[in-house]
Amino acid sequence: MSGVWVYVEHSGGEISTVSREALGAGRKAADGLGQPLTALVFGHDVAEAAKSAFSYGADAVLGADDETLADVRIEAHGELLTKLVTDRTPAVVMAGGTNNGRDVLAWAAAGLDAGMVVDGIDIDVDGDTVKVTRPVYAAKLLATAFVTEGTQFMTLRSRALPAAEATDNSGEAEWVEAAMAEDDIRTKIVGYESAEGKISLTDANIIVSGGRGVGGPEGFEPIQELAAALGGAVGASRAAVDSGWIPYEHQVGQTGKTVSPDLYIACGISGAIQHQAGMRTSKVIVAINKDPEAPIFKIAQYGIVGDLFEVAPALTKLFKERLD
Amino acid sequence: MNVVVCTKQTPSTTAVYEVKDGVVSWEDPGGKPLVVNPWDEYAIEEAIRVAENHGADKAIALTYGASEATEVLKTCLAMGCKEAVLVSDEAFAGSDAVATARILAAAVNKLDDVQLLVFGKQAIDGDTGLTPVMVARKLGWTPITYVSAIKEIGDGQITVERVRGNGKETVTAPLPAVISVVKEINEPRYPSFMGIRKAGKAKIPTWTASDLEVDGPVGGDASKADWSNVFTMPAREGSVEMIEGETVEEKASQLVDKLFEEKVI
Ligand SMILES: Cc1cc2nc3c(=O)[nH]c(=O)nc-3n(C[C@H](O)[C@H](O)[C@H](O)COP(=O)(O)OP(=O)(O)OC[C@H]3O[C@@H](n4cnc5c(N)ncnc54)[C@H](O)[C@@H]3O)c2cc1C
Ligand SMILES: Nc1ncnc2c1ncn2[C@@H]1O[C@H](COP(=O)(O)O)[C@@H](O)[C@H]1O
Repeated sequence: MSGVWVYVEHSGGEISTVSREALGAGRKAADGLGQPLTALVFGHDVAEAAKSAFSYGADAVLGADDETLADVRIEAHGELLTKLVTDRTPAVVMAGGTNNGRDVLAWAAAGLDAGMVVDGIDIDVDGDTVKVTRPVYAAKLLATAFVTEGTQFMTLRSRALPAAEATDNSGEAEWVEAAMAEDDIRTKIVGYESAEGKISLTDANIIVSGGRGVGGPEGFEPIQELAAALGGAVGASRAAVDSGWIPYEHQVGQTGKTVSPDLYIACGISGAIQHQAGMRTSKVIVAINKDPEAPIFKIAQYGIVGDLFEVAPALTKLFKERLD
Repeated sequence: MNVVVCTKQTPSTTAVYEVKDGVVSWEDPGGKPLVVNPWDEYAIEEAIRVAENHGADKAIALTYGASEATEVLKTCLAMGCKEAVLVSDEAFAGSDAVATARILAAAVNKLDDVQLLVFGKQAIDGDTGLTPVMVARKLGWTPITYVSAIKEIGDGQITVERVRGNGKETVTAPLPAVISVVKEINEPRYPSFMGIRKAGKAKIPTWTASDLEVDGPVGGDASKADWSNVFTMPAREGSVEMIEGETVEEKASQLVDKLFEEKVI
């Protein structure tokens, strides 16, 4: 069993940030094990993405270019992965911790009766084993998790590890056939509606979040303005979402999205444990709250006790000046 | 046809954890340490709605866990599921995601005429989100994850809307299928008073290893994923720097300086 594989997600020839992070982690694992790093690039019209995978440090690329693989369908991508792992027995298969990455690897791992661990925020090579550190119990605890035998399947939490940088590395991809014909793939995608243009919370470098303290839907205006000045996304606590002030897709926390931006600014959020579960792995946390006793200050790096309706606009003004 | 909801009992969201010699325990300040996995409430509701609105004969609740897990099945019955089954055996303890999928798949195979399995998107203890796809693979059924709306069920087909990246994808697939659902799919109902009384009296069968034909090994020894080394998060606490200043502008300006120094802007 040898080789570290990274299942790469891409669109329009570009490799996604999470997959670049996975390639970075894959490099670390491959070097630690003394084995080559192979990128798996499945899709349709993927020549560019395959090239790009080399530039992000892959020693080899296993590509599959077929219409049936154009959109990620669990069966089509998962069966191909299953077949390749059966034939070539890699030591490690990694992916970014996206819905697709987790689903495709889970399908293959179940088919192969292999072990799988998810959501690594760090990895470490110990002998032949790649160990991941991961949050468990709603990110209230950490665990070291690993696969004890056979091919080691794993996913990495997005934004936890540094993305591989582009280099001038290049190479020739090896091309393989799809594993399933269209007639055998049961899921058919009949429509797609994108919410283009919005910065997705999980990808954002900077998130400005509002809670019950914003007081109403219009209270999100200063939050939005601060986020816009910083090129960031808008988050919210469940209390704000449940009050109907902002749609659910903005909710951060245990029953919302899990985020780890470089900067998380919590405005008018008390910092309930369920909210913390979704944001405590952020690199720098700033809390703005009227109440000096609010629990959010316990996990923040910087705190301002004050009215968010004064502090947020003051920050927006300064950031606009400094970033111009 | 019948629809089955798979649900897990988990610690409550307010649980406070302690790790001692690698053993995790928790207490709940609210006094309800074990609950229905919060993500599964949407799955239970959706299974009941499939019976109510899409012509399924009944919704059946299935959980694998310790004997206390009958409590979550009672909640399912109180909400409107017509049957419930607990799968429980010492021999299963310590199963990883693949072994859990084998156990659940075997239990589903023992039930009559199941065409649809409904899962939550993940359990808040292990937080893996692997079970739905792995069960689908073990059963050989169509996997459809992160479903935000069921549009239609009929003629042996299911059509759903699911979350994909930043958008929504519409997918059709033949039954039998396995779906996992997200929060926006519905608003779970509260159990009715009558429902709670009925559930209290219900006899819930327990299936053990000998009742099931599990295809492959189960339990801790058969599991290839090890997560036994659990520890507490390094504290972030106590490290906050409160920004002081005479005016709001002064505080804001100090904070902006710090954030530039941190290189997070
Ligand atoms: C099963 C379950 C799951 C949950 N999942 C989540 C989840 O995913 N995400 C989540 O966020 N929550 C979740 N919660 C809810 C969570 O417990 C809290 O209820 C919620 O996070 C509180 O939101 P908040 O901080 O906005 O409100 P509050 O706790 O009411 O806090 C508002 C804060 O704003 C401050 N404030 C008020 N006005 C101003 C002002 N003008 N300027 C500055 N500060 C001001 C106040 O001092 C207060 O500290 C969940 C709860 C349960 C039971
Ligand atoms: N022991 C179990 N019994 C029944 N259903 C389960 C069990 N574990 C997980 N599930 C289901 O699988 C989903 C995903 O769980 P997990 O893969 O553990 O994160 C949950 O939301 C449940 O619907």
